[in-house]
Amino acid sequence: MPLDPATQKIRAFDQVGTRPLRPDGLDKVTGRARFGADATAPGMLVGRILRSPHAHARIRSIDATKAEALPGVKAVVTSKDFADRSDDLRDILVNIMARGKALYEGHTVAAVAATSASVARKALKLIKVDYEVLPHVTDVDLAMEPDAPLLHDDLITSGVEPVPTKPSNIARKIEFGHGDVDKGFAEADLVVEREFKTEATHQGYIEPHACLASVGSDGQGELWVCTQGHYMVRDVCAQLLGMDVSKLRVTASEIGGGFGGKTTVFIEPVALALSRKAGRPVKVVMTRDEVFRASGPTSSTSMRMKIGVKKDGRITALDALLKYQGGAFAGAPVDYGGMAGVACYDYPNIRVVGYDVVTNRPKQAAYRAPGAPMTAFAVESVIAEIADTLKLDPIEMRLKNAAKEGTKSAYGPTFGPVGLVETLKAAKAHPNYKVKLGKNQGRGIASGFWFNFGGQTCVSLNLNIDGTLALAVGTPDIGGSRASMCLMAAEELGIPYENVRAIIADTSSLGYNDVTDGSRVTFASGMATIHAARDAIKKLCGRAAKVWGIPEEAVVWEKGFAKPSGANAGNFEPMSLKELAANAAKTGGPIAGHYEYNAENAGPSFATHVVDVEVDPETGFTKVLRYLVCQDAGKAVHPSYVEGQFQGGAVQGIGWALNEEYIYGADGRLQNAGFLDYRIPVASDLPMIDTAIVEVPNPGHPYGVRGVGETSIVPPMAAVSNAVSHAVGIRLTESPMSPPRILKALGEQAARKAG
Amino acid sequence: MHNFDYHRPTSLADAAKRLSGEAKLVAGGMTLIPTLKQRLAQPSSLVDLGGIAELRGIKPEGGGLTIGAMTTHAEVAHSAEVKKTIPALAVLAEGIGDPQVRNRGTIGGSISNNDPAADYPAGLVALGATVITDKRRIAADDFFKGMFETALQDGEIVTAVSFPRPDKAAYMKFPNPASRYAMVGVFVARTGGGIRVAVTGAGPGVFRATEMEKALAGNFSADAIKSVKIPAAGLNSDMHGSAEYRAHLVNVMARRAVTACS
Ligand SMILES: Cc1cc2nc3c(=O)[nH]c(=O)nc-3n(C[C@H](O)[C@H](O)[C@H](O)COP(=O)(O)OP(=O)(O)OC[C@H]3O[C@@H](n4cnc5c(N)ncnc54)[C@H](O)[C@@H]3O)c2cc1C
Repeated sequence: MPLDPATQKIRAFDQVGTRPLRPDGLDKVTGRARFGADATAPGMLVGRILRSPHAHARIRSIDATKAEALPGVKAVVTSKDFADRSDDLRDILVNIMARGKALYEGHTVAAVAATSASVARKALKLIKVDYEVLPHVTDVDLAMEPDAPLLHDDLITSGVEPVPTKPSNIARKIEFGHGDVDKGFAEADLVVEREFKTEATHQGYIEPHACLASVGSDGQGELWVCTQGHYMVRDVCAQLLGMDVSKLRVTASEIGGGFGGKTTVFIEPVALALSRKAGRPVKVVMTRDEVFRASGPTSSTSMRMKIGVKKDGRITALDALLKYQGGAFAGAPVDYGGMAGVACYDYPNIRVVGYDVVTNRPKQAAYRAPGAPMTAFAVESVIAEIADTLKLDPIEMRLKNAAKEGTKSAYGPTFGPVGLVETLKAAKAHPNYKVKLGKNQGRGIASGFWFNFGGQTCVSLNLNIDGTLALAVGTPDIGGSRASMCLMAAEELGIPYENVRAIIADTSSLGYNDVTDGSRVTFASGMATIHAARDAIKKLCGRAAKVWGIPEEAVVWEKGFAKPSGANAGNFEPMSLKELAANAAKTGGPIAGHYEYNAENAGPSFATHVVDVEVDPETGFTKVLRYLVCQDAGKAVHPSYVEGQFQGGAVQGIGWALNEEYIYGADGRLQNAGFLDYRIPVASDLPMIDTAIVEVPNPGHPYGVRGVGETSIVPPMAAVSNAVSHAVGIRLTESPMSPPRILKALGEQAARKAG
Repeated sequence: MHNFDYHRPTSLADAAKRLSGEAKLVAGGMTLIPTLKQRLAQPSSLVDLGGIAELRGIKPEGGGLTIGAMTTHAEVAHSAEVKKTIPALAVLAEGIGDPQVRNRGTIGGSISNNDPAADYPAGLVALGATVITDKRRIAADDFFKGMFETALQDGEIVTAVSFPRPDKAAYMKFPNPASRYAMVGVFVARTGGGIRVAVTGAGPGVFRATEMEKALAGNFSADAIKSVKIPAAGLNSDMHGSAEYRAHLVNVMARRAVTACS
């Protein structure tokens, strides 16, 4: 129900935009918060998973008789315990338990439930798996070669005409754009074309996947789990196990980070299957090693990017070839990633061709703006190179081409009001942009975009007898959404923030909600909260009308009170929420507000990042000196949380740019499955990340809110690369830009200069 | 982790007595506990040195310093005594791992473990320190024996390390971007006995860069060693850096350490 944007701009808020204490803060710092691994149940067993040591192998047979005979072992499950299927859940089914073949190192082949961890571990050793090791491929370019080892002998590339007759590792070809790129390049004064490679990274959430499953002999199931979407977990698990959805109740625990990686299932169906077989509750907690090897990292990519411009910097054409590998199953985010990665600019002519490729790696999962950082890395690097060559200010160059209201995006829709221009101007006006740089230092600029989603949402707001409120939300809080929901409910009702308490309701207590993803929660659950509060207000006004004996329409709600709408309505003392709550039993019973809908018009969020780095020319080490995020939040409901999202995305993007990568050995095994070998940036590695919140209201939300959680990871890889490239005077085209890689590039440049 | 007995003796003699069979000493536990978790070691019992007061503390002695085996990296890093007598050693300790590791990890544990990428071995060798055990005194040059190997015998307990005071010393480390251990660390010390350059992280264990020491004896300046190349052959090569990269870093870190000394 969009409001008039003109009125939104002038709307004054009492509470939205303030920074009250977070409701989950104390629990988290004192250890009282209950995370996935904290659930316990009487008679609980320990579940452990046997994983393939091979990157690619046929499973000839699995013999678990010795394991089953070990005292303390209560259940062993394999693919035989899950019915095969041919619908769109098949990939998930095969991913959670290998069928016929192990497709990557770490692929689940069996699982046990036992009375203790040590018995479970012993049991795993007793399971005999007869493997026929097959050739493997982990690199995206190699996987596309005609003679590459084939993962699925029934995978026929979609999106190609005529339909291929032979299977390959290319799951999908996509193509989008408009205009005529050949004509566009012919009109260009300068054309720059480069190839890029990015390595796979992991979301690096601190809490490993964990769940406790309990299925009774009556077929009723309970699951406590750390997830971004417990309704998704319920629906997928119920189907994989052949249960009625109503028989499985899923409760989401407090979550120690997700970033997209907890939007699917891994251990949950296995834990349920073990519990059903053992007749006892089973807890499964991944180790960090398992998280790295067998959850869902990002795609690695190989890309070619070509952009043509006029002398003044106006883009005439963009042509891109994007190859994303998404692990052992189709679904690499080359489509959304490609669309988002090119979305910042207005192109008269554009063509993007993408390939979704399977390899012998774990199936990729979402990671903040899935797929966008890679394409943005290529686009923004070429834009930077063009600005350098034409000696244009990089922000002016971007402003000249920036997408704005009315721009037709490459992926189809025409943009409504969007804030890219405003973020570019905010970056240019910020003191960081004016700092003079020293020796070996460089500045990088990059912009970024994410669509943001709405989705199915449902909330319930219940008035308590003392006038406080219980808000039940169905979207796990991974970034502070409970605080924002409470602020929005308090704003509507005109009561203190502290009087509203939000909880994440379980799947049996509240209607269906889509996963917490697509930066959708503060937007969609927030809008539902506003409407639920308005629903409650309508009922409250009705109760006051009843007491006063006047028509409902003659009562208005103002800052926590029901009031007669004017002198004509009657002369009654305003009635507080507290009074209305106390009298509820006498005036008609409990008072609640509800709202359920499929949210649309999420409103994209654009950002511009500015980073200064210093590169040590003797070691290749890059130090981030200062970093600025300017991003459009539409309306920042809780600015501290918005800044936190900006900073978190920037930090993860910096890690991706400089250090993080999945390193595979020639044997197809992951070499660095732990934080001692895979570095995510920590506080001491980086300066404070500066932020500037831009607010261009989203007409699709009553307060103008846009999602903010994902866009922040889109520009950093490009921004850091541009800064490093400026510092060393060489264009870098591969992530991560680790010290040996930078030193090597410097050495090659010196050799070129010398001879 | 397998089950084990746990002892926390309050005297060195008692600790030594407990060290029979498959018993193992535990100091800060920063290395040992992860090893137990990974089941790389399966001791029958752990003898915790944390309750023995005499193993702790930093004492000035004969112009130099004696540091008890159970002294944590954080204590060394923040010690006024160390900063006054051998500031480079405080810098070294401050650069180990992260605050949690520095608050638990000990000098005794670090040198007994002798990780090829640990920092202390470079400090001990360059400074010509002496390792003191409950049985004898061992020169640092003789103490470190290659990867995770030391001169310690079964049941021998490091009680302290004694450092002479150098005229000048400096430690330069290029941390592994992931673990923060030394990818390469070079400790340069000028003492009455001459110049020593000790390298950690680059090879299978700490070693002295004797060619550099010779060059520096004639001309103590970064330029004097600029052309002294450390051969890459035999150096560590892993996913974080090749042997060539490490060889290059030895030269860079050595020059920086020399500059910091002058
Ligand atoms: C995340 C992380 C980062 C790290 N980064 C660095 C770094 O940058 N630089 C660096 O140098 N180190 C680093 N370390 C190692 C750290 O310095 C530890 O202090 C060191 O590995 C062991 O010390 P400890 O006191 O914890 O010993 P423990 O783990 O308790 O013991 C280690 C070994 O020494 C033996 N031992 C302990 N004390 C004695 C003694 N007095 N006599 C005889 N034997 C003994 C034990 O039996 C055991 O075999 C890091 C460790 C971690 C976990």
